[in-house]
Amino acid sequence: MNLDILAQMVVSGALMGLIYALIAYGFQLTYATSKSINFGQGELVMLSAFFSLTLLNLGAPYWLMVPGGLLFGAVMGLIVERACVRLSLEQKSEGWILLTIIFGLLGFSSAENIWGRDDRPFPSPISADALNFFGISITGLEIAVALGVFLIMSIIELFKRKTLLGKAFEAVSADRDAAELMGISATKTIMLSYGLSGMVAAMAGILISPITTVGPTMASALILKAFSVAVVAGLDSGFGVVIIGIFLGALESLTSFYLGSGWREAPGLILLIMALAVRPNGVFGKANIRKV
Amino acid sequence: MKKTLLATLLLGTLTTPAFAADTIKIALTGPFSGGSAPMGTSMRDGARLAINEINASGGISVGTKKKKIEIIERDDEGKNERGALIAQELASMGDLSGVIGTVNTGVVLAGDKHLQEKGITKIITPAAGSASMTQWSKAGTKDVSIFRFAAHDGIQSSMVIEEAINQKFTKIAILHDATNYGASGHDDLIDQIKKQGNKLEIVATEKFNIGDKDMTAQLLSAKAHGAQAILIWGIGPEMAAVSNGMAKLGMKIPLIGGWTLSMSNYIDNAGKNGNGTLMPQTFIEDAITPKVKSFIDGYHKTYNVTRIPSPVSAAQGYDAVYIFAAAVKQAQSEDTHKIKDALEDLREPVKGVITTWKHPFSKWDPANEQTHEAFRRSDAVMGKIQDGHVIFANQSDRQRLINNAAR
Repeated sequence: MNLDILAQMVVSGALMGLIYALIAYGFQLTYATSKSINFGQGELVMLSAFFSLTLLNLGAPYWLMVPGGLLFGAVMGLIVERACVRLSLEQKSEGWILLTIIFGLLGFSSAENIWGRDDRPFPSPISADALNFFGISITGLEIAVALGVFLIMSIIELFKRKTLLGKAFEAVSADRDAAELMGISATKTIMLSYGLSGMVAAMAGILISPITTVGPTMASALILKAFSVAVVAGLDSGFGVVIIGIFLGALESLTSFYLGSGWREAPGLILLIMALAVRPNGVFGKANIRKV
Repeated sequence: MKKTLLATLLLGTLTTPAFAADTIKIALTGPFSGGSAPMGTSMRDGARLAINEINASGGISVGTKKKKIEIIERDDEGKNERGALIAQELASMGDLSGVIGTVNTGVVLAGDKHLQEKGITKIITPAAGSASMTQWSKAGTKDVSIFRFAAHDGIQSSMVIEEAINQKFTKIAILHDATNYGASGHDDLIDQIKKQGNKLEIVATEKFNIGDKDMTAQLLSAKAHGAQAILIWGIGPEMAAVSNGMAKLGMKIPLIGGWTLSMSNYIDNAGKNGNGTLMPQTFIEDAITPKVKSFIDGYHKTYNVTRIPSPVSAAQGYDAVYIFAAAVKQAQSEDTHKIKDALEDLREPVKGVITTWKHPFSKWDPANEQTHEAFRRSDAVMGKIQDGHVIFANQSDRQRLINNAAR
């Protein structure tokens, strides 16, 4: 077997896997604090990408578009929290599942009506030309995706560990009731987590758009993979999603090559079933011990 | 008082059909949104252009009157189930003269049976999948009211294989999407390789799904097996991902495929990586004759664009309307069944932008679906993408069309 091809396949797959990981990270952030997930996360990725594209079309320079897009994502995250999650958490119900799905559908229809249903190219100052590393071709765009993923995840993880607000975040994640007794507002922390999660979704949208093009369905395939990654890695695993994401991406490429392209989607699903059967808390998840 | 009211009402219901018959109702259907929208909207806009011209000249002479064309538009979104619903609705209208359109072969298969049941005349354009017409010949249907006005996949795949053989390739890879269209295109290509003497060896056959963006694995498989060209059957966005993937992997081999490679969402998303891509075309946006020039200028001006999103669809939509109008004139009726009979034996040549159509269709023969196919091999040319535009791949084709028009 040609080693070059094997390496190329693993690298290309792994880069795709990093995108899954970034979206999966958005799931983790909200699950940590509130034990709830935004099932419309894919639509947040798509809406942020459309918003950023609109900014660019209005003539905004690239350096202004990125923070603009991130801000939009954060605001959308806050709206999701206020409209779909807060009330059902207060009532200790699972209503957020349905509400976030509905919010996603609403976002999808709005995007179709506002921006149309066509896939559009997303301009990027980074060149799409391929660079060659030891016989492996990687485009500048792919490197940007990898750097962007690590950058935003590192910033958020640092924030969680080093700042007072971040420590509150960790405290609520560890034990919500105890944290509230210490005077930390769980509601505000959950808001923060949804804001951050929306921002991560926006970052994902901006990073992948030059590769995937922007359209209402751009994230619908990605979101399922990201969900698999989040569950397999464990919904509270931090950087675990990166490892699982890279692994899944590479596995998909290899399956597609050796077993045929019709089998491409299979490994993700098998992995998901296996993880749920063997390690329900995820490969990197911590087992929940609840003292009573 | 009551009696007058009743009489007025009765009179009202009696006179309405008479009003309706003052126009000729034609339905335009297709995906005006979604991944196939460039083809759907171009077809619709090309057809509208022709209808506006006909209406501006007073309409079509039927009997002693001149009747204008009334358009009914339906967006099937490229979805089979929507297509079936729309076909049912149109079939139940009663006073419809005919239907022009449909882009997706799956939609044709889901919807046309409802129109056929009522004998409503339909001209399919630009859907190219072979099954659209062979479904009737396979079933042995005696009388068919469905006609096709597009270079079907049989013609296209033969041109693609011909091109690969002419360029002296021996090993090729086939990539196709997992839809009806992609799968039937794949079968047509294999058929044609056999028909043209088994000169090509298929070293890899790879599939991709709608929405896939990373084609590395499929392309590496083609590369590892030494493919000298990639033959592709799919729609715009995914084929653009293939072109971009080829550029990334430094694969400088030709991409040859179905006419969908001329879709604007392929050309735009592939950018400079699309240069050199080859595909069969029935119309190229190049003002080679005065008639073609006035069509292109008219389209640009009316819809305020500098490039037709899918020139093939626009030209086919435009010519299809003129052929339909010629049938109405010959039938001297807006009755859809009489129009069908006239289409099967069109006596006067129709001057279109693609060519001058002489007797495009003939009486349906269940053993030969070609009787309801307008296009022949000579009506199609190879197109090539160059800097965001589709141009003639061979200058000889361009010259041939100019000579034909002059004759």
